[in-house]
Amino acid sequence: MSSTVELASSFIEGAPPGELADVVADVQALTEGDDILSSLVPAFERYNESQLATVKLPGSSEEVIVSEFNKLEDNRYFDTESQTSFEVDHTTQTASAAQSSPLDSQNADLIKSLLKSLGNHAREHYSSSSYGVYPIENDSAVAILLVANRYSPNNFWNGRFRAIYTVPVSSSTTTVTGKIHVDVHYYEDGNVALNTTKPVNVSVSSVSAESIISRIASAERDYQEELNRAFVGMSEGAFKGLRRQLPITRQKVEWEKVGGYRLGQDISGGKGR
Amino acid sequence: MADAQFDSALDLLRRLNPRDTKKNLQAITSIVPDLTEDLLSSVDQPLEIRRCKQTNRDYLLCDYNRDGDSYRSPWSNEFDPPLDDGTVPSERVRKLEVAANDAFDVYRDLYYEGGVGSVYFWDLDDGFAGVILLKKGVTPGSSSSGEWDSIHVFEATDRARMSHYKLTSTVILHLASQSQALGEMDLSGNMTRQVEVDLPVDSDASHVANVGRLVEDMELKMRNLLQEVYFGKAKDVVGELRSLGSLSESNRDRATQLEMIKGMQK
Repeated sequence: MSSTVELASSFIEGAPPGELADVVADVQALTEGDDILSSLVPAFERYNESQLATVKLPGSSEEVIVSEFNKLEDNRYFDTESQTSFEVDHTTQTASAAQSSPLDSQNADLIKSLLKSLGNHAREHYSSSSYGVYPIENDSAVAILLVANRYSPNNFWNGRFRAIYTVPVSSSTTTVTGKIHVDVHYYEDGNVALNTTKPVNVSVSSVSAESIISRIASAERDYQEELNRAFVGMSEGAFKGLRRQLPITRQKVEWEKVGGYRLGQDISGGKGR
Repeated sequence: MADAQFDSALDLLRRLNPRDTKKNLQAITSIVPDLTEDLLSSVDQPLEIRRCKQTNRDYLLCDYNRDGDSYRSPWSNEFDPPLDDGTVPSERVRKLEVAANDAFDVYRDLYYEGGVGSVYFWDLDDGFAGVILLKKGVTPGSSSSGEWDSIHVFEATDRARMSHYKLTSTVILHLASQSQALGEMDLSGNMTRQVEVDLPVDSDASHVANVGRLVEDMELKMRNLLQEVYFGKAKDVVGELRSLGSLSESNRDRATQLEMIKGMQK
């Protein structure tokens, strides 16, 4: 049987967008008396890196991404746009000990132009987002990340859009591979979750920031249109096939008549109780 | 502290992915075994189907037709595995249960055009109580699937020529779709609603009709609600996260509109 720490870790990693603190409070109540949080640091780290958690740099209002792609050692991460490295407290999702961290990459120019193009793309389509471009795989490729969060706990919904792409920087053509994830949680008198994963695989004819981001932008647009069609398809397809809104006769059930034979036979004498 | 832990367990289950409720319920009860009984009776899970050996008809399993490790079939009134002293309803309530199963079988056919249903009743000191269960799964095309579970629990309390009904209804709805263009999409969850009402009762037959109408109205309401949340709200939130159109253009349009309104007010 799994240990309490393993089970609690799965709760942390399963926290829906914007509800990590609520899940933590529940976990603490269920494990009362135990100081479990310190044992859950690896789970917080996995949650933060996979969910593209954002932290404010000390003395700045800017939110930067925490991920496996911009990870250094000792809980430190780096941001290429501000050329800063910082330490992350995974449990509280806060950054500290910021240091200058000049971008040291043979693809530095490409990364800077990608940040610019990606920033324009993000502002055009995401009203609230954070993004990052990082050198990866021994400086042979770049990772392009974008996360958009909208939290509305007063209305019982939260949502997160994540896009994670990697692009090898080699010859004149390349391929953008990655995944888009959309997670929505609605929890007024219930618990409804939308979880999607869309693999992306598109070739780019020239290794320039404009063409890479333009391909990403159209892949994201195509996906959102496909997702919107899927909502309609599910509503018209599976949902309709499960339960009709009204019987085919357009009449509600005549309850006095259905099963009336048996009611007449077995129970009609039972006026008294 | 137990109450607070129970509330935290329910809060946690309301937040974690509804697809994983069964697994998460096991995890919680493994951390706090004392909560097991209360949680099992208050957290709804997708229903399991069993074939009645006596009648060869399918029926649904839940906490209300369970006695130990055996389940009672609504068709034969027998437990499987057999029990000599299993808890069964009184003769009067069993008659009502049989009538309700007949009536809801017609209802299931009219609204679900398939699926499985079961009704279980039990005696209370001042009336009786019951649960109406309905389940259906579909796989339209190989790439999409859907599963609906309705769980309606009610209490009917006797009053003079009236009965007081309290109904708590939960629908668990799982939908999934996948394709090359879409990738994987899972839209799952559950919603719960309650209603209380006094209705006239001239004979036991009135109970079946009263409960029937209550459940029918509730399911219509919940189907509309599910439609709104699953295909309206969820889609709207995706649109809040990412705008298909250009935000700078829509901001410019809004600014222009504001200018026009201001201009007209001058």
